[in-house]
Amino acid sequence: MRLRSHLLLLSAATAAPILALAVVVAFLVVRQERDTLRDAAKDRVVAIMSGVDAELRGSIATLRALAASAQLENGDLAAFHAEAMRILKAHPDWLDYSLNSPEGARVASSLPPAVSAQTGLADRESFDLAVTTGEPVVGSIEQWPNGERWAVPLRMPIMENGLPKYILSAMLKPDAFSDLLRAQRLPEGWVAGIADRHGRFIGRIPPLPPGQYASDSWREKIKASPQGWFRGRTLEGHDTYTPYVTSSLSGWALGIAMPVSAVEAAAWRSLWLVLIMVLLASGIAVGLALLLGWRIAKPIAALAQAAEAAGRGERVGFPVRTPITELDSLAAALAQAAQAMHDKHQLAEREKAALQASDRAKDEFLAMLSHELRNPLAALTAAAHVLKLAPAGDAAAIKARGVVDRQTKHMARLVGDLLDISRVAMGKVALERERFNLAEAAGNVLHVWRASGRLERHQLGVEIKPVWVDADRARIEQILSNLLDNAVKFTPAGGKITVSVGQDGDWAVLQVSDQGEGLAPGSAERMFDLFVQGERGLDRAAGGLGVGLALVKRLSEMHGGRVSAESAGPGRGATFRVTLPAVQPITTRSGEVAAAPVLAPRRVLIVEDNDDARQMLHDVLAFGGHEVREARDGASGLALAAQSPPDVALIDIGLPDVDGYEVARRLRAAPGGRRMGLIAITGYGQAEDQRLAYEAGFDAHLTKPVAPERLKQVMAGLQ
Amino acid sequence: MTKRLLVVDDDADMRLTLKLALELAGYAVDVAANGREALHAQRRQAADVLITDIFMPDADGFEAIDAFRKEFPRTKIVVVSGGAQFSKRDYLPDAELIGVDATLQKPFDVDTLLGLIKTL
Repeated sequence: MRLRSHLLLLSAATAAPILALAVVVAFLVVRQERDTLRDAAKDRVVAIMSGVDAELRGSIATLRALAASAQLENGDLAAFHAEAMRILKAHPDWLDYSLNSPEGARVASSLPPAVSAQTGLADRESFDLAVTTGEPVVGSIEQWPNGERWAVPLRMPIMENGLPKYILSAMLKPDAFSDLLRAQRLPEGWVAGIADRHGRFIGRIPPLPPGQYASDSWREKIKASPQGWFRGRTLEGHDTYTPYVTSSLSGWALGIAMPVSAVEAAAWRSLWLVLIMVLLASGIAVGLALLLGWRIAKPIAALAQAAEAAGRGERVGFPVRTPITELDSLAAALAQAAQAMHDKHQLAEREKAALQASDRAKDEFLAMLSHELRNPLAALTAAAHVLKLAPAGDAAAIKARGVVDRQTKHMARLVGDLLDISRVAMGKVALERERFNLAEAAGNVLHVWRASGRLERHQLGVEIKPVWVDADRARIEQILSNLLDNAVKFTPAGGKITVSVGQDGDWAVLQVSDQGEGLAPGSAERMFDLFVQGERGLDRAAGGLGVGLALVKRLSEMHGGRVSAESAGPGRGATFRVTLPAVQPITTRSGEVAAAPVLAPRRVLIVEDNDDARQMLHDVLAFGGHEVREARDGASGLALAAQSPPDVALIDIGLPDVDGYEVARRLRAAPGGRRMGLIAITGYGQAEDQRLAYEAGFDAHLTKPVAPERLKQVMAGLQ
Repeated sequence: MTKRLLVVDDDADMRLTLKLALELAGYAVDVAANGREALHAQRRQAADVLITDIFMPDADGFEAIDAFRKEFPRTKIVVVSGGAQFSKRDYLPDAELIGVDATLQKPFDVDTLLGLIKTL
């Protein structure tokens, strides 16, 4: 059932007792109305009757005065008759007088003698009563005289010695009483009547022929009770209510018959009024209930609609301003629930997307890995084929060996990367922390990169300020290397790559900016995810496994640092930034920042077969103001030393012809060799290697890659 | 008459070793580092067989293949690639799909390639 119907029922339920009460009140009002009318009619009947009684009393008083006249006492009947005639003339409502003996014989009267002789004693009953009681009696209507007219006798006994001597009667005209009723000016349709002891009308409005009996119903009522109220039919047959009263003086009854319709019209009017008011009130109640129902139901319907929409996953607003406080709370709660659901949905969508992206990245990584490993293998397979067929000294064989050399190194680097990332991912890398200047470490890396020629296709910008960190130097250098690798891959030839190191509050900042392909909006964070690569189509020039930046992130986080990437958009370059906790610099006793030792210019001989390594050493020393000579192998190194002995010789152990140890032994043995500073450079840092180096006559031992600062320190130590 | 081959690969070592191996087998071999260079080389001196990688800078392998098929419809084409078969990024679809004469996955035995070239 609809809410509106409930409200309607509710209002009906509230209104029902009120309606019932209204109906009861209506009936009471109707009854009250009738009673009021009845009481008023009764009062009126009593008032008219007292008028009738007063009329009769007047006549009785006049009759009593006449009865007491001296002429009658003296027996002078003629004089009495004259007196009586005079009074009769003065009372127009008297028709006649008659003086009779108690036996009924007429002694004197106003009737002519001829008429008197034919006229009997009217209303014998009242005459006898007067004789018996000796009291005045009001009689009943009778025909008088000789049936010509109608009159009501008034009997007055005249007593002598306690016995009635005469009965004096006054015959009253009934018209007087009719006039009395007429004077009431009753409304149209009402009937008023005065009936005598026998129920014959003395007077009636509207008039009837004289001597007519009143209705049977009234006569029965009069017999049953001297006064009352009844419903009955008039002689004309009209349905009426009749209040009546009986006079104790005359024994007459007086009634006013009111048409039922007239009595009930008022009641009906009241009833109608009440009914109309009830209907009006009910109408207003229903209207208000509907209006209220609409006001309540509308926001509920709106809420339901919104909730349904929210259930379908649409984003909807809830109407939080309704006319109902509880609905406001409900709307707020629904809005909250919908928001929560929406958030959860969004989260699930994001997680799904992230999962898909990670899946895709893994697939791409596997494809890339397959490709990256198969390519060098393909070159190696072909090279093996050539080596199998070509004579050992043949140019083709030599070239093939070069290919084998390069490609195995390349594969080793790939495998190294893979191992690195898996070790870092599994948390198996232990950091060997030391305090060092990040600027210096960045300088070393840049030097190595410049020396290797890997930056020669780009412009390099350097903005380096000292800032110290407590970190694993090799890992920090790996971080910068990977960032540089990334920048070089994605920056076209001639583009600028800027490396900056500095401090930002408590943080050391290492930053590499490029003018490369930039990043798509929103992809910056993803750049550091494992296996994610920049979009490169099918171009392998950028190569690599897509683990470089992931390594940067993991390593930075292991150091308590953070990474971030930003880009103005595709094609507009990118900036990768690593922040690490900055620490206090290590200071010397004098409180100054340790600086690279200042060396006097020396003559230095470098014996190193690796071009890159030799170039790097050359750069470091040449920039330091030293005079540098280089040799690719032991024999040419010894030859140069023989020409002009150097102050210091840097000798690689793994030379193509003779090993470094042998070179050192020969230099020491040569003239001036004992003053010469000899520094061994090896790829191995084991204690055994150091022991061999010192045994061969080296002064110091450096492990590749050689850090410029370390080299300067060792050189200073040899001064 | 000696068959002339054109090897296209962006990896210099790959180009070099294939050239050496195929020359040892008696073929005349030209090399190119990408699709564009390959087209130039082909126009200078038309090869009978094109042996090409699929992903290369400038013009990728697919574009090169398209260009060759239009301009040199009689040249046979062998595609070699290191693409993995199991991934979504399948870089080495069937020869029929890309409309070439043969495909070969890296790494491959040079003898297999030589056998393939003989049958073309």
